[in-house]
Amino acid sequence: MLKFGIEFVPREAYWKTIYYTIQAEKRGFDHLWITDHFNNRNVYVTLTAAAVYTEKMKLGPGVTNPYLINPVMTAQAVASLDEMAPGRVVLGIGAGDKTTLDCAGVEMKKPLTAVKETIEIVRRMMEAKSVTYEGKVFQAKGAQFLFKPRGKIPVYVGAQGPKMLEMAGKTGEGVLINACHPKDVGYAVAQARKGIEEAGKKLSDVDIAAYTSFSVHEDLEKANKAAIPVVAYIVAGSPNIILERHGIDLKKAEEIREALKAAKWAEAFGAVSLEMIKAFSVCGTPNMCVDRINLLLKSGISQFVVGSPIGSNVRKSIDLISDKVIPHFRK
Amino acid sequence: MTYRKIVGPIPEEKREKISVKLVDIILKSKNDDKMPSSLAKEILHYWHQGPLLDEDSLGPLLEAAVLLEPDKTTDLLEQELQLVDLAKAVKQISVER
Repeated sequence: MLKFGIEFVPREAYWKTIYYTIQAEKRGFDHLWITDHFNNRNVYVTLTAAAVYTEKMKLGPGVTNPYLINPVMTAQAVASLDEMAPGRVVLGIGAGDKTTLDCAGVEMKKPLTAVKETIEIVRRMMEAKSVTYEGKVFQAKGAQFLFKPRGKIPVYVGAQGPKMLEMAGKTGEGVLINACHPKDVGYAVAQARKGIEEAGKKLSDVDIAAYTSFSVHEDLEKANKAAIPVVAYIVAGSPNIILERHGIDLKKAEEIREALKAAKWAEAFGAVSLEMIKAFSVCGTPNMCVDRINLLLKSGISQFVVGSPIGSNVRKSIDLISDKVIPHFRK
Repeated sequence: MTYRKIVGPIPEEKREKISVKLVDIILKSKNDDKMPSSLAKEILHYWHQGPLLDEDSLGPLLEAAVLLEPDKTTDLLEQELQLVDLAKAVKQISVER
């Protein structure tokens, strides 16, 4: 059965995010993912509040990165959270977002190695042993908790490129694929499968999630309108190879990039086309979203993550997804 | 007078509608800084327990809406929901405080 996750960006007051979290759990979502960017509310503070106010949902950062938070601190955070929500904590980890890292003056060195080493350090720390580690990016010299962690935390690797996807399949208990279009998700699943097979695991051992930019509304125009700002940023941040895969005019993409840099929002958002929305979001009426999710399901995903913006009114959108989308996958 | 007391007379059949409308007012509000931390925790506590329909949960919800968006809340009660007595009681509390 397809699992449903929901992502919140903690840029609003914590009580708003937690209100939506409680609602999402009541309305049948299985996973909560909280984004981790230094310019929003802290991911673990938000997750702690979420742990207090939920009972069943799995929850974790979606995704944290090894550059701004050292692996031993990530291990400490998820181990502590796992005390509050026993057996419900997962760790989403990826290379991070270059724009945000640039703002913090942190270089994204050897992303594949950094993520892989972080996973190794976190896992060893969870075994409650003293960890001495000589990696290419990270080192630890007798790092050990002074408390007893509850045990293994499932690791989901956020991945886009072929090597990271393969490593995610090989190493992770889950893969978070940052894509919305069946072409992109299908490609990503195939890459992850290589890693899964290489590790001698079964496909069902790994939870493969499409982590999407999502917008639903009974009125298509309103759904599109809510998706536009997020799609503009995705287009601006996508490499040309991805844009070309979807037949997107590279000049238009460059216009959006420049307009966003200059904070010319109307210009940037005005340049977002319907084909961009289709390529980089799951957007539309509930039935349109069901059709798209079905296509992604055929590509091999086992979890569908409803990500930002969710809809023009998040509360109403959560109810709409619960009433008219999720039931199609729970028959 | 307290917010818990003044929501008592709201008819059962109107409670869900008023609850949803008040929630939307506070979720859409940009005046997050006006929400007292204790009140936010109280609302989340009751929301965690169940729907926000009884006096214990509707009271804090109404109080939050009044603190964050006084004009919108008054308009909602008077114009949209025709709960004129409740609107008067809200004004009375505001004067008393």
